[in-house]
Amino acid sequence: MATLENDQDTILRASIDRSLRHPVMFFFTSGAAWLAVAILLGIISSAKVHSPGFLDSCPWMTYGRVTAAHQTALVYGWGCQAAFGMAIWLMARLSRQTCRNAGVILTAGHVWNLALSLGVIGILAGAGTGMPWMEMPSFAWMPMLLSYIAIVVGSMVQFKVRPEGHTYISQWYLMAALIWFPWFFGSAHLLVHGFSGSPLGAAGVNAWFRSAMLLMLFAPVGIAMAYYLVPKVLGRPVYNYSLSLIGFWSLAIIAPWAGMQKLTGVPIPNFLPYLGAFAAILFAVPAAMAGINLLKTATTDLATVNESPTLRFTVWGLIFLLIFGLASVLLNLPSVMRITQFTISGYGYDVLGVYGFFSFIAFGAIYFIVPRITRREWLSRRLIKSHFFLSLYAVFGIALVAIFGGLMQGVGQETFTSAWEDAADRVVPYAVMTTVSWCFLLVSNFFFFVHLTLMWLRLGRRSSHPTLLVEPHHHDPHGPEGDIDNAGPAVH
Amino acid sequence: MVEPDFSAYPMQDPHKPDLDDSLNVTESHDRLVREAAAVAREKRVNDGGREPVSLWLFAASAVILIAAGLALGKAGNFFDYDEYVQPGYMRDNLNEGGDEGPPPVDALKGYMAKGEKVYGKCIGCHGPDGKGGGAYPSLAGSQWVLGETDRLAMIILNGLQGPTSTGKTYGVMPAQGIGMSPTDLASVMTYIRNAFGNTKGDVVTVAMATEGIKISEGRAKAGQPLTKEELDADHAKDLPGDPLDPAAKVDPVTLNPVEEGK
Repeated sequence: MATLENDQDTILRASIDRSLRHPVMFFFTSGAAWLAVAILLGIISSAKVHSPGFLDSCPWMTYGRVTAAHQTALVYGWGCQAAFGMAIWLMARLSRQTCRNAGVILTAGHVWNLALSLGVIGILAGAGTGMPWMEMPSFAWMPMLLSYIAIVVGSMVQFKVRPEGHTYISQWYLMAALIWFPWFFGSAHLLVHGFSGSPLGAAGVNAWFRSAMLLMLFAPVGIAMAYYLVPKVLGRPVYNYSLSLIGFWSLAIIAPWAGMQKLTGVPIPNFLPYLGAFAAILFAVPAAMAGINLLKTATTDLATVNESPTLRFTVWGLIFLLIFGLASVLLNLPSVMRITQFTISGYGYDVLGVYGFFSFIAFGAIYFIVPRITRREWLSRRLIKSHFFLSLYAVFGIALVAIFGGLMQGVGQETFTSAWEDAADRVVPYAVMTTVSWCFLLVSNFFFFVHLTLMWLRLGRRSSHPTLLVEPHHHDPHGPEGDIDNAGPAVH
Repeated sequence: MVEPDFSAYPMQDPHKPDLDDSLNVTESHDRLVREAAAVAREKRVNDGGREPVSLWLFAASAVILIAAGLALGKAGNFFDYDEYVQPGYMRDNLNEGGDEGPPPVDALKGYMAKGEKVYGKCIGCHGPDGKGGGAYPSLAGSQWVLGETDRLAMIILNGLQGPTSTGKTYGVMPAQGIGMSPTDLASVMTYIRNAFGNTKGDVVTVAMATEGIKISEGRAKAGQPLTKEELDADHAKDLPGDPLDPAAKVDPVTLNPVEEGK
């Protein structure tokens, strides 16, 4: 029923979306472009695991550089930028404030991209630091941190001046992520690049930082977005409010302790790796709380979940969150940890977190947000479906195969009386599968990138009907859903 | 503060009575729905559900806690910055803790496998098939290879000049003994006596090879290649030492005998 209050509310939401149109679209399209770069580099680096001769004559394409560039592009190009786009939009919506510094955010976004591009070129040129996820040469981190602050400071102000009353659960998670990121990003880079400490200490800081990126940036932003999308699209309340709060506070308490488990057997104080393993295993608790809370909400209306692009991606992202939690338990048990420490399992775990859990929710968010800020509907259900299914198969292909293949590799390495080559040979089939899966992802994201670019160019469908993933009803009295301009001609 | 852009959608102030006839509320609503359809059809978010939480979620959390406790149990003393890697984390001894090293093999097989590697030095002249050819004599079927072990050891260690067992004279064979361990000598002798169609079937043991190296060092013309005359005069005998059953078990790396059942 159209009431004046409803319309006023719609206008407010439409104004918020309009105010954030350029920065959010910039982060999403730029993120998708970086994702394409990351996937191409991922194919090359994965191919080198089973075919070492591939591109071996080019020093810029050696395994160490390509792998580092691939992970950097995936984490900072796609992951962080998708997180920024989601965070600034969601915080503005939930705090009911329009964005007043879109120009600053856009400029900072370009600085971020510039620093990242130079960083990735630096890695490929051989100036990488050799520390996973902190590979970029030391010039890159300071501009990235400053541009981060410029990007999110508006969101923090919006939270501060939000209307009185209930603080939505997503805001808890978002504020936590917005505050945690500069803390761990700044302190880790300062400790590694700013002070000339022991390289062993730097390795420890690096391991902690890498875990923090997953558990203290991607996890809270992804969960915040899911806590918004699922009840929003379904129009149903989240299953249980107390569970949301337990999930949030357990994450806040547990996540900062994890990370050092990567250094088991390294001559650092003995309690550190096991305390890290303890926290990494416990991460399964907040993961399960958030995942099950939202999946219980989603199962009340599976028909809608099936037909909505947003919910299909988001719900699978939540399923991957549960698998991610399970993998955290299994891979960090002390007996498994010593087997998998020097294998491809860790890579599978990272991909499961960044691509399986976080990116699926980010895709869900993009399918939700972009029609609102561009005021156009998605063009093709087939493109969305191809994106969805190819990504789904690819994540299973990369993450689960790499985790299992890493276990096999580790068992091979433990039988130390046979040649090292035997352990390496065990990885080959899994590595081939990983390469094939990255190729799937390339096709999948080609569809996604083309679709998003068309939306960015405002070439989306002008319609009042959303693009859903079910076959259209051909005898719909309102006419075919795909009709251009079936909501009447544009007014201006 | 930037206000929401109400001017784009002319509408009344909700706090004033609806008196203005110039504005059609339905029309402005339709226009809003047309222009911001996706926003207009949104539903409200609500995180305030109060459904009962199933017990199995807490049971699962308890299992996770137990698993986490297993990890924490390995941590030793907390905040002890002097205690490094836990005792027992690394293997002190390769033969400890169920790892018994490579399984023992038959003596002949173990000596042959090692000898094949040592023979890599000889391939250049005698060839991979041991047949020599051209300027180099064949090892296959050679009387001196298959005959007394002292003679064979001396030739390998010091080299040979003049006629060979067949009476034919080839070039000078240089000494191979420099840096050769008793294990290498024993295994390569066993190898050439049992490869290339040779089927002597016995093992030249490490102990015998040790004796051979001693004899070689005690020669009057130590380091000089031997001749047929010297070989026939001084070395037409087997090396001293107990024979080893070719089927006895040895360690494939050290070639030391291994007791059965261990």
